[in-house]
Amino acid sequence: MNGLNALPERPITILIAALGGEGGGVLADWIIGAATGQDYPVQSTSIPGVAQRTGATTYYIELYPARIAELGERRPVMTLTPAPGYVDVMVSSELLETGRALLNGFVTPERTTLVASTHRVYTTAEKMQMGDGRFDSERILKAAREMAKRAILFDMQQASAEAGTVISAVMFGALAGSATLPLPRAQCEDAIRKGGKGTEASLRGFALGYAAAERSSAASGDAKTGTTEGARGQPAAITSQTPLMAEQIRSNFPEQTHRIVGYGVDRTADFQDRPYADLYLDRLRPIVTRDREQGGAASDYKLTTETARFLALWMSYEDVIRVADLKSRRSRFERVRDEVQAKPDEPVHIVEYLKPGIEEAAALLPPGLSKVLLNWAEKRGLTYKLNVGMHIKSTSVTGFLILRLLALLRPLRRMTARYAQEQVLIERWLRAIAAARDPALALEIALCGRLIKGYGDTNRRAKTSMLRILDTLVEGSALPNETARANAIREAREAALEDPEGRQLESSLSTHGITPLPPKPKPIQFIRDAARNRRVA
Amino acid sequence: MERSFQSEVELLKLGRGQVFHGEGILAVTKALLQSGVSYVGGYQGAPVSHMMDVLNDARDIMDELGIHIETNASEAGAAAMLGASINYPVRGAVTWKSTVGTNVASDALSNLASAGVKGGALIIIGEDYGEGASIIQERSHAFAMKSQLWLLDPRPNLPTIVQMVEKGFELSEASNTPVFLELRIRACHLHGSFKARDNRAPLISRRHLLHDPDFDYARICLPPSTYAQEKHKIEVRWPAAVKFIREHKLNECFPGTDAGLSAEIGIICQGGLYNAAVRALQQLGLSDAFGAAMLPIYCLNVAYPLVPEEVVQFCAGKRAVLVVEEGQPAYIEDAVQAMLRRAAKIDTKVHGKDVLPMAGEYTNAVVLDGVSRFIEMAAPHGVDTSVVGQVYERLNAAKQKAANLLGSPVPPRPPGFCVGCPERPVFSAMKLIEHQTGAFHVSGDIGCHTFSTLPPFNIGNTVLGYGLGLASNAAVQPMFGRRTVTIMGDGGFWHNGLTSGVANAVFNRNDGILLIMKNGYTSATGTQNIPSSPHQTEFKSHDMSIEKTLTGLGVQWMKTVHNYHVSKMAKTLLDAMTSSYEGLKVIIAEGECQLERQRRLRPRNAARLKRGERVVRERFGVDEDTCTGDHSCIRLSGCPSLTVKSASDPLKVDPVAHVNNDCVGCGLCGEVAHAAILCPSFYRAEIVQNPGGMDRLLHKLRRTIIGWLQPATARTLL
Repeated sequence: MNGLNALPERPITILIAALGGEGGGVLADWIIGAATGQDYPVQSTSIPGVAQRTGATTYYIELYPARIAELGERRPVMTLTPAPGYVDVMVSSELLETGRALLNGFVTPERTTLVASTHRVYTTAEKMQMGDGRFDSERILKAAREMAKRAILFDMQQASAEAGTVISAVMFGALAGSATLPLPRAQCEDAIRKGGKGTEASLRGFALGYAAAERSSAASGDAKTGTTEGARGQPAAITSQTPLMAEQIRSNFPEQTHRIVGYGVDRTADFQDRPYADLYLDRLRPIVTRDREQGGAASDYKLTTETARFLALWMSYEDVIRVADLKSRRSRFERVRDEVQAKPDEPVHIVEYLKPGIEEAAALLPPGLSKVLLNWAEKRGLTYKLNVGMHIKSTSVTGFLILRLLALLRPLRRMTARYAQEQVLIERWLRAIAAARDPALALEIALCGRLIKGYGDTNRRAKTSMLRILDTLVEGSALPNETARANAIREAREAALEDPEGRQLESSLSTHGITPLPPKPKPIQFIRDAARNRRVA
Repeated sequence: MERSFQSEVELLKLGRGQVFHGEGILAVTKALLQSGVSYVGGYQGAPVSHMMDVLNDARDIMDELGIHIETNASEAGAAAMLGASINYPVRGAVTWKSTVGTNVASDALSNLASAGVKGGALIIIGEDYGEGASIIQERSHAFAMKSQLWLLDPRPNLPTIVQMVEKGFELSEASNTPVFLELRIRACHLHGSFKARDNRAPLISRRHLLHDPDFDYARICLPPSTYAQEKHKIEVRWPAAVKFIREHKLNECFPGTDAGLSAEIGIICQGGLYNAAVRALQQLGLSDAFGAAMLPIYCLNVAYPLVPEEVVQFCAGKRAVLVVEEGQPAYIEDAVQAMLRRAAKIDTKVHGKDVLPMAGEYTNAVVLDGVSRFIEMAAPHGVDTSVVGQVYERLNAAKQKAANLLGSPVPPRPPGFCVGCPERPVFSAMKLIEHQTGAFHVSGDIGCHTFSTLPPFNIGNTVLGYGLGLASNAAVQPMFGRRTVTIMGDGGFWHNGLTSGVANAVFNRNDGILLIMKNGYTSATGTQNIPSSPHQTEFKSHDMSIEKTLTGLGVQWMKTVHNYHVSKMAKTLLDAMTSSYEGLKVIIAEGECQLERQRRLRPRNAARLKRGERVVRERFGVDEDTCTGDHSCIRLSGCPSLTVKSASDPLKVDPVAHVNNDCVGCGLCGEVAHAAILCPSFYRAEIVQNPGGMDRLLHKLRRTIIGWLQPATARTLL
């Protein structure tokens, strides 16, 4: 046993968590190549196949840190699966996958160096929610720092974009830079060169990863903290562009609300005109008065802020005029160029996917005419049938002019049916907020403004949910007191965001003894019943 | 194919003494060549697809050696191909994913096993079990037992795997029996090394042809031969196999380094689990890194048949042994129990499924838990069992702590349709028509399209097997008052669906709707070619179309729709639902696998860009200003590149939709926004790379004119 004592007790274990298609296999090959170049026994396993298509996957590597030449005929026995508490280096290409590795016990304070990217690739489950279904990134970061022996965390996606390569190259660099493996930098770079294909870009990515890991070691903390999503605009003060408006906000609203109210004024003025912005402030006044009376300072005037937020969004509803206006602005053209990563000399054509129909047309007409048109369409079953699919090239002169002409209808907006309709509902919502004696109840009603989103059918369903809550829980008498009401409204609102059909909302309401609305009748279309027809024939 | 294997092909050329560095399944492929195989076939499927892929890329080597390579129509076809070894002394190997492939192959396998073989017949099965598996969880072991085929389960390191391939042929010939070589998923993709030997040209091959057909009634599967064959299996082939396994020491017995402990306890494991068992012992301080364990391990590189003498000898005198056997039922453990009972005087206690789970993959953590519980129960002298129990607890403590820190489980990330996948729009169309038709029954099939059962679509009520979608609909359609839909891929169509599905449905006058996903390849297994693939190599026939085949079968209602036209797809589906035609209605959803398409397009566009030629790059985007963040587009698409991001608008609390740079510009988001009348936020951007003079001029002109009329940004207050 004497000879063995001099040798390392066990292999170094490396677990790589990645998403299908990110080049995790290439990374494993690089590590194998570098280790083989140093004459270390090394083994990797993976689970490719259809199970990997865009899904989460792992690669597992064991490297025995003694040269084969020193081992004679002996070879270490290496396993094929990682074990909890037994992973030396955890490399992760994405933050949620890091979270998964943590939950599986692969990151432990005694042993594991964590090399992970801080960026997020959202899962379908997170993306498809009607509200915000995203997992809290901060929680994962905090847990990662706490669970790892050493955490090297930085945005590898950004680094790979900078280097013009795939994320696996950056991961390899960070792994090499973490100095957890007995693989010198030159050997790793050699492995990349031997792999062929996009060598230069890979080496650039490797270098960025390597430097980030080294920085992290020097700082004994994160290479770069925080998530990648751009920080939201945080203007220090009121953004409103006129001194008069700014003065109005300053004198009438508490400081904590200035930011959002300022944005609201800008938004409503941008949507229509100065008087509309005045209307916005007028509508907020009773709310802020109430908020003050009820000691809103304790909650930083959350009631006013949230009402101001959703009121501004609602008052700047997206009708054809607004959409045409937003789509034809210079800032928007520039944003698109930026988003699609066009180089300065590359022309970019933008083609809009619009499909206006009877509803959109009716929304622009005066209320009386609008009703006539909608009734006519409904009777003939044409409400959804006359939508015209248009591909408008807004970067062409004609396309641009169409959009601009529509946008120019803005001064007429107050005469449109949609305007009238929205204002009625807005007023009803505001009255309900102001009427609530309990501040918590008022806030819950205000937050229902979050339900109002979308276009066409989606927008109609959203309003149905809002009206349903107003009818039953706010103005109805199903609940004994305001606290119960507030709770019920919060539950109902969350339920309404669960599914677009409103089934969860109805089931939430039914817990308070409210009879659920019958589900929409289906099918509308006659479907041939072949079997029965045959019998009849 | 999804990837090229040109560099792997070089590995197949290695000669004596050179070191092979590569994947397990490629090592097997190399071992076949070293064994003088005459023919190789198979049907693709993870984890063994690479074997056929690399051989198809290695045509020159195959030609040189005279080896025949057949891309079989199905696993049944592959198994039947082994029939060449019944009458002739030729070595053949086939491969497939198990157990599903073995199920498909079982008719031919039973007959093959009954007839027996002259030439070595090796069946390489990828045991798709545990993490990463894409099929039902069963063991292949039962097939070996019922048909009396031998089952090799080599220790997962390349030298052993390679040796077992070579010995497998010898075993097959020594016992006139086909042999399974079972490799688990991770073993197939195990990257390691072994010392190669020269390839051997077979004595009978495409270069050295057969001349005289052999007839032997004893090898025909018809009574009375079948009775004699069963007897021959038991009386001759089985004993011959056991003798061969013993004499060539295919199973390995690793002695324990601690004499006291070795006298008391031991471990019997399947070869494939040897490494996990050793690691568990190492974690408990009972082994070193090289597998020199304090207690003996009997490693079953042959999982069936067992060698009773070896088992009895290993257990004799021990108080307890642990059988580490993955999956259920516990055939090996039960057999060991029976053997010890028959060998009268042995009262060794046999542990196994009492300390290890009955079902599920035996990962390192699972085996560690089982081994430590075994040690605690057996309580051998000289081992502090209290410490043993703590090891597992200590290693697993982090899980609980992490769970507390994270607060809730992280959302799952199952596999799904790729960016730009042509199958996605079909399901978007189905979701759309549901608003008009109400929910309808959808019989699913095997293929990438099975991902439709996952969110956001959740479409597909049953999955019964590859190409069996339409067959599984046979009794569903007549029980419904309205029409039902069956999904089938073109891979499944050629594998099985043509006969058991379409022919049968036409024959029985099924009134349902069949939707065939014609993406050109078996994409789920790595985009291998099928008879109707758009591009074929010189070794394959070029003129086989699904449409012609369907017409030939008598399908009268058939429409071909391009997948990305969501509205048209929806309309065609509605037409099929409401058509007065009684009989099978077939919709061919045409759209080439995006993986394969991009694999062709990317290098081509890159080359054109490099040459300075004009290339228009298309991609989609979402206008953040007009997106209200309700995400209905995502619920109708699920494309990985259609995602969300925090709104930069400080008023919006919910994230807005966002198309990231992985977008390949397939156009589905725009189509869905149109078809569902969702919202005006989607735009298509056409980026003109290497713009020509005309491009520049027109662009400049437009910019100037638009510039005059364009407001910069938000309106300012007067």
